[in-house]
Amino acid sequence: MTLRSIRTEHGLEGSELGALLGDRSALDHLFSVTYEELRRLASSVRRSDPNASLSPTTLVNEAWLKLRNSPRLAGVPRLHFKRIAARAMRQVLIEAARRRKAQKRGGEALTIVTFEDAPDPTPTGADQLLGLDAALQELARLQPRQALVVESRFFGGFDVAESAELLGVSEATVLRDWRAAKAWLARELRRAS
Amino acid sequence: MNAARWEQIQVLFHEVADLPDPAQRASLEAQCAEDPALMTEVLSLLEEDARGDSLLDRDAAHVAAEVLDEGIPPALLDQTFGPYRLKEALGQGGMGVVYLAEREDLGSVAAIKILRDAWLSPDRRERFASEQRTLAQLNHPAIARLYDADTLPDGTPWFVMEYVEGVPLTEFCEHHASSIPERLRLFRAVCEAVEHAHRHLIVHRDLKPSNILVKPDGSVKLLDFGIAKQLESLEGPVDRTRTGLRLMTPAYAAPEQILGDPVGIHTDIYTLGVVLYELLTGRLPFDLSNRTPGEAETAIIEQGPERPSGAAKEKSISRRAWADLDVLCLTAMHIEPQRRYRTVEALIRDIDHYLAGEPLEARPDTFGYRLGKYVRRNWRPVSAATASFIVVIGLVVFYTVRLATTRNAAVAEAARTQRIQHFMLNLFQGGEEAVGPADSLRVVTLVDRGVRDAQSLDGEPAVQAELYETLGSIYQKLGKLDRADSLLRAALDQRRSLFGSDDAEVAKSLVALGRLRVDQADYKEAERLIREGLAISERHRPPGDPAIASATLALGQVLEESGKYDEGIKVLEEAVRLRGMAPAQPTTELAASMRELANTHFYAGHLAVADSLDRLVLALTRKLNGERHPLVAEDLINLGAVQHEWGHYQEAERYYRQALDITQAFYGPSHYKTAAGLTVLGRALIFQKRYDDAMPLFHRALAIRERVFGKVHPQVASTLNEMGGIALAREKFGEAEALASRVLAIYRTVYSGKHNLIGTALANLASVYMAQHQYARAEPVLREAIGVFTETQGAAHLNTGIARIKLGRTLLRQRRYAEAARETLAGYQILTKQTDPGVSWLVAARKDLVAAYDSLGQAEKAAQFRAELADTAGKAANAAKRN
Repeated sequence: MTLRSIRTEHGLEGSELGALLGDRSALDHLFSVTYEELRRLASSVRRSDPNASLSPTTLVNEAWLKLRNSPRLAGVPRLHFKRIAARAMRQVLIEAARRRKAQKRGGEALTIVTFEDAPDPTPTGADQLLGLDAALQELARLQPRQALVVESRFFGGFDVAESAELLGVSEATVLRDWRAAKAWLARELRRAS
Repeated sequence: MNAARWEQIQVLFHEVADLPDPAQRASLEAQCAEDPALMTEVLSLLEEDARGDSLLDRDAAHVAAEVLDEGIPPALLDQTFGPYRLKEALGQGGMGVVYLAEREDLGSVAAIKILRDAWLSPDRRERFASEQRTLAQLNHPAIARLYDADTLPDGTPWFVMEYVEGVPLTEFCEHHASSIPERLRLFRAVCEAVEHAHRHLIVHRDLKPSNILVKPDGSVKLLDFGIAKQLESLEGPVDRTRTGLRLMTPAYAAPEQILGDPVGIHTDIYTLGVVLYELLTGRLPFDLSNRTPGEAETAIIEQGPERPSGAAKEKSISRRAWADLDVLCLTAMHIEPQRRYRTVEALIRDIDHYLAGEPLEARPDTFGYRLGKYVRRNWRPVSAATASFIVVIGLVVFYTVRLATTRNAAVAEAARTQRIQHFMLNLFQGGEEAVGPADSLRVVTLVDRGVRDAQSLDGEPAVQAELYETLGSIYQKLGKLDRADSLLRAALDQRRSLFGSDDAEVAKSLVALGRLRVDQADYKEAERLIREGLAISERHRPPGDPAIASATLALGQVLEESGKYDEGIKVLEEAVRLRGMAPAQPTTELAASMRELANTHFYAGHLAVADSLDRLVLALTRKLNGERHPLVAEDLINLGAVQHEWGHYQEAERYYRQALDITQAFYGPSHYKTAAGLTVLGRALIFQKRYDDAMPLFHRALAIRERVFGKVHPQVASTLNEMGGIALAREKFGEAEALASRVLAIYRTVYSGKHNLIGTALANLASVYMAQHQYARAEPVLREAIGVFTETQGAAHLNTGIARIKLGRTLLRQRRYAEAARETLAGYQILTKQTDPGVSWLVAARKDLVAAYDSLGQAEKAAQFRAELADTAGKAANAAKRN
């Protein structure tokens, strides 16, 4: 799994985070947890599990409960931890989407596809996710705070109050950011597909 | 788009977003009169805002469900896994997917576990490999067995294990409407499997009914060691960083896992308690479904569960029996680890007590309880008595019961100590060198405590002697020879005073003390003690008794160690005969005796005999212990050593590689045993002059040893020394000098006084100087080396001789011919007595002597060594022709 974008992208500052991110094994740990939680989430959705308690919010909360006692993460404030977890969720999903697409492409150069076998033109979840990731990167260039709002809410399951606290802005600002960013990202996704 | 433009767009977007349609339109038109593009932008955003059907309006969970797929990926269906091919998916955990697989040649089925998305992180790969290692270590009928393991071409690891067709424990009991005793017996079988794992210092950490299957025949199998953890010692906890909570099922989590406190065997005991709770009551001890994580935590770590008797629907057993079950279950599940059963064995004992209607050991020792239990078991006489009679009986019973339980306790204690001995011996068997400084400290502490306990057993001198012997042997394996000495002697004295001199137990002590003397290099005394012990055993035990066989093996080992190979071979042949005659099937003891016999032949130079014996032992070990057992690796290394001696370095390399493969799979890539395997392989490569291939192996070995033993340790020095040799061969003198100096520094620190290894390190450092023609620097180093060798190994030792030849060479190069001739000649005389005339050091010595005597004008002496040179060269040429 590539962790390099985590290091270079915007939005993660502060010395304790810097120190934390410098620690590969803590990160590796976090990614493993995130991945397994996402698996759990995914399979509960697929089974249409009525157990509605599973959501990104629960996952990130549980990841926090499970990891907060590990020495390398001890002392990291909860919100900062959750922010990293949200990033991890995003990374894991994007990487999975990339792999999925790569698998589909595998052997493309060798097989001759009949028209009937041509891929379904409607974009898959993987395509959309990759599109969202690209659009989020663009948004981060235009307005970093909005990109963070989206990341924390969509991938990290932050509620409005938590996002506001994390970003040091009012809840109204978070709501405005979320709405505008969502509309903008939706339009970018539509244009891309 | 730039940031300013986006700002402009979204300000307008927010301004009009919540206006009713016509007002929105009007406002936009007014504000965008000069910038129609702005209007288009805002309108497109408003359109999306109204739709609200983008990816972001869905749940990340649905997105995850789409990209993290399940089922057998088509790519896997085309793969073969060793001889297996996938049939269908059986199940999946967070980490791996398990498939049913068929063996194509035999048609048999197995389960294959594949690490899904191995790319994700090293953490996951390590955990997967760790499960595989764990399974490889465990060999128990109630634990699914490991068959094979490898990786796919894309790096995805997989392993094959026994396929278990069964249903989860709780489901089985419900389906069969099992009675409480039936449930307890199934549970007891689970405990035995867990105890087996604990004996191998493995904690499972994820016990739950879905990991415990019951087969149609009613036998249980423990599955999924996916988050099992290897403990470092019996009482040492797992480090805090990986309590395993994050991976385990919260409903079965122990308080310490939630708190992030150290986990250990007490954690499995708690979880067994939860499983028992579920078996007894039909539900989990804590209902976590409607609680927040915080509430769930509080319930588990503060409140403790409702009594099973209160939670159970099953009312067919008496209240009194339920009281015992409450105690049993809640003792296992105690919030404080130290108040739980200390071992799974203790839990099993109480299950047995319960099933036999005896008092539990966990029960608080109250008079009422004991009396009640006694009366229940003997209810007829009691109920027949009058009220006043009951009081009298009650008192009598009280005293009788108390006496009986005290006596039972003593008997139980003795049985327990025996089990502990076996446990501890198993613990250290084969792992003795494992103990580096940090660990040995912990283990030694443990043994020290054992000694104190043993000392307090004054009333049980026989048990005490037994314990002294066990603990003494453990000290010996830990390298604490002095403490071993006093304990083994105490055991011997105690047994002599108890049983007299001519007794089988005394014989055991004599042999144990003899084995210690071997480690202390006092071979004469070792031989005497073992012979005496063997003679007594032969008088008191039937022929073929294991004690006789083991004493014979010990005698053979002494003779081997003291270099009496011919005699040793005779004795070891007898040991093999003794081990081979009793059982119908070959045993590991037979293999051990044969291995020792092969070793003796090897040291005696009978390489062909050693080779064929080693092959037999290898076949036997494979049969007895399986293909991938560490003993198989040991046998492969022995075979490699024969090839190495024969100069067949490529063959040796082949054996060493096979051995390394097994060692690595068994112990893991960073275990000290792996380091040893890397080292022998590296040496085989050095002999093929494949320095570039050898160097990385030594680097790996060095890293492992530095981590395991610390930077200043003989094992580290030995690796550095090999690396120094390679650097010298590649003429990297700076590197060679640095390495040789580090080796020397380590040996000087470790062996604060004189030790022959300090001499070796000095001599090697001198070689580096000599290779750079720095003879004046080499000279004092060699003089010191000669001093060390003379003092530690004697003036006539080979090492002393070689060092003097080297010193001669440095003097010759400094044109100090008279001194040179004297040193070289002295070295030459030492070597000629002990080695073949053709060895390189003697050839070098002759050349140097010729040069020195020529320069000194002593033509006659020079001519003598010239003639010898020509003679050996001729012989070597003839020998080469014959081969």
